[in-house]
Amino acid sequence: MSPNAPGNAGAHALHIEDLVKTYPTGVEALGGVSLEIRPGELFGLLGPNGAGKSTLIHCTTGLAQPTSGTIEVFGHDATGNYAEARQAVGLAPQEPNLDWFLTVEETLDYHAGYFGMPKRERRERTRELLETFSLTEKREERTRTLSGGMKRRLILARAMMHRPRLLILDEPTAGVDVELRLELWHYVQRINEEGTTILLTTHYLEEAEQLCSRIAFITGGAIVAEGTSTEVSERFGVSSLEDAYLALVGRKELSRSHIELEAEVEA
Amino acid sequence: MSTAQIRFATLWRREVNRFMKIKKQTLGGPLLETFLYITVFGAALGSRIKELHGIEYILFVIPGLIMMAWATNAFTNNSSSILQQKFQGAIQDQLSSPASPTELLLALSLGGFVRGLMVATITFVVSVVLVGLPVDHVLVLIPALFLVGFFFSQLGVLIGVRAEQFDDVAFAQTFVLQPLIFLGGVFYSASLLPQPWETLTRFNPIFYMISLVRYGFVGYSEISIPLALLALAFATAVLFAINLRLFSAGYKLRA
Repeated sequence: MSPNAPGNAGAHALHIEDLVKTYPTGVEALGGVSLEIRPGELFGLLGPNGAGKSTLIHCTTGLAQPTSGTIEVFGHDATGNYAEARQAVGLAPQEPNLDWFLTVEETLDYHAGYFGMPKRERRERTRELLETFSLTEKREERTRTLSGGMKRRLILARAMMHRPRLLILDEPTAGVDVELRLELWHYVQRINEEGTTILLTTHYLEEAEQLCSRIAFITGGAIVAEGTSTEVSERFGVSSLEDAYLALVGRKELSRSHIELEAEVEA
Repeated sequence: MSTAQIRFATLWRREVNRFMKIKKQTLGGPLLETFLYITVFGAALGSRIKELHGIEYILFVIPGLIMMAWATNAFTNNSSSILQQKFQGAIQDQLSSPASPTELLLALSLGGFVRGLMVATITFVVSVVLVGLPVDHVLVLIPALFLVGFFFSQLGVLIGVRAEQFDDVAFAQTFVLQPLIFLGGVFYSASLLPQPWETLTRFNPIFYMISLVRYGFVGYSEISIPLALLALAFATAVLFAINLRLFSAGYKLRA
């Protein structure tokens, strides 16, 4: 199937219903999550560490097996009809998971091969993404010799390689410099405008606020708020997404407005 | 090529590329080891033991060494490759692709199979040139060697999937595989052993594999060839079915 095959007409880019994931250790990472992302959206999934963001992503991409519930990617069941569902998804994981034996160029070429892309198309796409992510000069280097920032660039390029319709970015800017972060956001906005749906997790709330058309807060394996950043803030009775987040994690005392108020009182 | 063919070819290419990038270790080392065995057990010991069952000692030993080379390389390659990829997290790129469990299992299996085939082929060619190794029963030899290679490829996959640390792979290789191979009659004939060792040898599955390969090369056997071939084919199929079940369930691969 072509990466750009339509799937079911009118289907959501991602439709998750009552998703439960309990690990063999007995830890329930997701306790009945339901979520819908519309085609073309840039959707932010925010929450503290251990909230269930990565587990949700892993269940969507086949790296974890749901205990119960359904996941559909553009109408394709991600467990029953996994080939079509996975073909439509590109994943840039939080932890660098590059193959140490491969060069930068091979990493992109092999990934595209795993998704069935013909040789000539792979070659052209590799050249294009090496250029886009400023990796051309590094193309013959083994991945283990790359700096942290270069590894992050390569992971992003790899996720884009097979032209996914749904791009999942799991904390893509964690530990990267300002230059790459800005480059990345420009690129993400561009491909989103071109039609790629994006699911983004990040700890940079101001970026999520600026980039994402809708946001969901997840904590303790459950979605607790969903909507535009204004709607989510109103839900918590505060004026910014950052304050809403601090209310979510029970740390209102860290709020800038709270600190400013205290400073004024002391003065 | 269809997308499925491209996918499978790429998965397989990755496995071959991995061992070719470190060929001093993955091909050079095993070849040197095999030729040292031939030198020590064939040339040195062979000057004292002229013949076994009417066969020149060096020719008696080499079939077992060829089988051993294929088996250990297939096993080591696959168990190491899978564990390394699990350790690095790189296997996630393949697991999140549209590849089916069967495609993944076959591609991972064939990496080690090809490495074993390469070492065994070079050993065979050198043995033909240097000591005139014959091939008496090619119709037994080819299926026997291919089944042995595929069996140990599957075993390597199984151990690699189950392993959580490099020690687990080393343990299986050093304390299970090597003793079974060495005590399976590579360097001697089981019928010449005193009791109870002769009987015990017959409980060792590797003994039947060595006997099959030896029969294929030099025409000597202490076992029923059709029965051994059938048993080996059955054992390989069972191992493949177990691995396929593990891959389908995502055992120790998917969280």
